[in-house]
Amino acid sequence: MKNKFLGLCLACLCVLILTPLGVSAHHSFGAEYDGEKPITLKGTVTRIDWENPHMHFYLDVKDAAGRVVNWKFEGYPPNMLIRQGWKKEGTLKIGDVVTVFAWRARDGSNLAHSREVTWENGTKLQSGPPAGTGGGGV
Amino acid sequence: MLSGVLLLTLTVSLPVFAQQRGAAAPSQPAPRTAEGKVDLSGVWQGGGLGFTLGTDATPAPTGGRGGVVATYKPEAYAKVQEYVARRGIDDPMARCLMVGVPRITSMPMPFQIIQMPNQVIFHYESFHVFRLIPTDGRKHPEDHDPSFMGDSVGRWEGDTLVVDVIGFNEKTWLGPVGSFHSDALHVIERYTRTSNESITYEVTIEDPKVLTKPFTARGTIRLLPGDRVREYECGENNEDIQRLEKLLENESLFRRK
Repeated sequence: MKNKFLGLCLACLCVLILTPLGVSAHHSFGAEYDGEKPITLKGTVTRIDWENPHMHFYLDVKDAAGRVVNWKFEGYPPNMLIRQGWKKEGTLKIGDVVTVFAWRARDGSNLAHSREVTWENGTKLQSGPPAGTGGGGV
Repeated sequence: MLSGVLLLTLTVSLPVFAQQRGAAAPSQPAPRTAEGKVDLSGVWQGGGLGFTLGTDATPAPTGGRGGVVATYKPEAYAKVQEYVARRGIDDPMARCLMVGVPRITSMPMPFQIIQMPNQVIFHYESFHVFRLIPTDGRKHPEDHDPSFMGDSVGRWEGDTLVVDVIGFNEKTWLGPVGSFHSDALHVIERYTRTSNESITYEVTIEDPKVLTKPFTARGTIRLLPGDRVREYECGENNEDIQRLEKLLENESLFRRK
């Protein structure tokens, strides 16, 4: 038990240390998303909502059976996206094929909290804050 | 066990200082106004204050920064624990409400300080919040209504701007998940621009209704050269409200075990 507790402490300390310095507070991250359910999905962009308080974008993703499933991702608001190097026009476009690292919603739907988007040419941009910031833990 | 997890969780969930957009150039002395007073004017990024929540029986954490614990009375701490068990679903910020003081300083979006001879204006990107802080010697008005940001009056102690804030409602959190307070909250902020690039921020928080004693937390506020305050309209399409209401129909989906 003691070792488990110490392990938890160490893990938490690592998270604290490794948490990127440019943090953002998501509204109740821990309630809406599961920081222990990371997911990486590759797909084609079908819709982009450049809006507050969170940007949303959608991908058509092929599942294991080859069926196309539409996923919704949440991200930073526009003001924060701009500071990460995004532009409203031209950064993420409908039809782009991208890979997204995210954490799944607790309700099990095809909704996830995005952290990073990678384009086919290797460009990477942060699209949302790390898990656990903004409250509720992971 | 929950209290142990709580302490750890709160430690982890605290925002870490936002430094990545801070100046990397060698430190320069703090600029001064024509009157010779240190000038706080500029666009700044605040950060976390490194305090956790507990009771008088909670050992101060040895990691992190400072090991400061907000010590709640036992019955108040039970409420904190419930908020934590609910993973912050009750966070007023998720409803786009103004976040109060000192939490506003921990927001990840910058703010601009405009220093004038008889007042200092804080203009925050988060939630369109502004604070007009008189420094002309006036007292808190007697007719202030309990509010999200409270009523602020300032004074200069040497190069430090001291801001006294009272008149809060009970609808904000101090920072970490569940850090509720009462309408007896009294916040004293100290802003000291120690160099061109940084302000030392020290905040003393007292709330005799829910805390056993005052505590003081500290942070660093960093200059963002070339940045500006942008627009952030939290209420544009806040889907969180609907999602949180839906989740509340089935607490087992999110409640901490």
